[in-house]
Amino acid sequence: MSKLFKSPKALVILTLALGAFVLSVAGGALGKEFNGGFLGAPIAHIQLPAEPVFADELFPGFKLTNTIVATWLTIVLVAVLAFLATRRMTEVPTGLQNMFEALIEFFSNLAASIAGPENGRRFLPLTLTIFIFIVTSNWLGILPGFGTIGRIETAEEVIHHAEDAGTDLAGVNLQVFDGDGAVGILSLGSIRTEEITAKRFKEAEEEGVHLVEDGKQVGILVPFLRSANTDVNTTLAIAIVAMFMVHFWAFRSLGIAGHVGKFLNFRGGPVALFVGLLEIIGEFARLISFTFRLFGNIFAGEVLLIAMAFLLPLIGIIPFLGLELFVGMIQAFIFSILTLVFAALASTGHDTEHH
Amino acid sequence: MFSALGINLAWLITQLIGFIVLFVILHKLLYKPILRMMDQRSARIRESLETAERVRTEAQSSREEMQQQIEAARAEGRQLVAEARDVADRFREEETAKAKAEIESEKARAEQNIQRERDAAIEDLRREFAGLAITAAERVVRRSLDEESHRKLIADVMEEAASAARKN
Repeated sequence: MSKLFKSPKALVILTLALGAFVLSVAGGALGKEFNGGFLGAPIAHIQLPAEPVFADELFPGFKLTNTIVATWLTIVLVAVLAFLATRRMTEVPTGLQNMFEALIEFFSNLAASIAGPENGRRFLPLTLTIFIFIVTSNWLGILPGFGTIGRIETAEEVIHHAEDAGTDLAGVNLQVFDGDGAVGILSLGSIRTEEITAKRFKEAEEEGVHLVEDGKQVGILVPFLRSANTDVNTTLAIAIVAMFMVHFWAFRSLGIAGHVGKFLNFRGGPVALFVGLLEIIGEFARLISFTFRLFGNIFAGEVLLIAMAFLLPLIGIIPFLGLELFVGMIQAFIFSILTLVFAALASTGHDTEHH
Repeated sequence: MFSALGINLAWLITQLIGFIVLFVILHKLLYKPILRMMDQRSARIRESLETAERVRTEAQSSREEMQQQIEAARAEGRQLVAEARDVADRFREEETAKAKAEIESEKARAEQNIQRERDAAIEDLRREFAGLAITAAERVVRRSLDEESHRKLIADVMEEAASAARKN
């Protein structure tokens, strides 16, 4: 310890870290109570459904959401990486090729050990795609720019939508943005401006009072990009594909009668019939748990990052970024491995288990 | 319930399409070439391992063969040496026997010669005695002595001859 204090480099780093910490506390939500809060980001508008990127419908009846944009960004990124990795393949792999080979080999061995060599090869592409898509979109989702850059939806529009949806205006927080442009950034320091509830704004407008000075506008930020798996549609889509393929493979290896017989078992008596019906419920439970495990983890991670940026700007977010990297990978791994396990279980008949 | 969660059929289908598109892209662009490459590589590795094993066994067998050949050559050499020694022994024995025989025959011849010379000497001596006897007889005749002096004379002569022979 004493050695540490003697080294000038360590001393500088320690001082900087301490300064950053003090700055974070003073500039964050805690400092705001004492007239500080000059660094904090506001608690962003958090909602479960993905927000449309454009106010207007892209096609009739279809609004492009920010999670769809993020999904396609992920797809393009992964496709480009895959293209670069396999463009010039060499016998001795290097770089991207090596990385993808290591990944594929890892999953290939895993699939072979869970489902056997033949089935493992069959299940491998889906398992890998699930893993690659989820991990890439999760890691993209914690990059700066996700959730912080977007179009500003003006207070009038927000109030209009809220009234249409029947939500309580007192529960909708509006933020104040500099300038009157259509694009806004949730920047550090915007915590200082008072948050205005939609209810208060509406009452003030009706009384003819302007709550903010000219050159500022009130509204909410609709981010252009939002982590793909914070949308139930995305996770449900993957879950549907996974469960569909699980049953497809089960039909192929057991035959239609063999697979249906597991759920509608008339030959084994009433108990077997009841167990079969429970199995049907179990299949739906798997679909739902697939969907909400991933969605819940990633959504909660986003909220956690927002909360930490609010409480301790600058440094509070750093350990949680690491945590989100970990969670993002673990969730991808769980999703793909469960798919593999379900597929392996469904493709081996109950007959083999009983005898 | 669905709209509160943000579930919307159009969005769901969009995400489904996105995922399936990604699946197809990755299948074509990533899994196929990389799995092919990995299979190729493992096949090649297996092949080279087999080749190495084969080479190793070949080397082993050729080493054994060489060892056998060396062993055979050594045995042959040993045999040759033994044979040579045999031949030499036999030759020596033969030579010794021959030499011995020669010596033997030489000796026999020498003995024969000696015998013959001794015989000849005896013969000579006898002839000399006869001459002496004749001489003695001539003297006797000339002097005509009695029997006793006769005998004495012969004995003298004999004595004389014997001492002469002994001197020789």
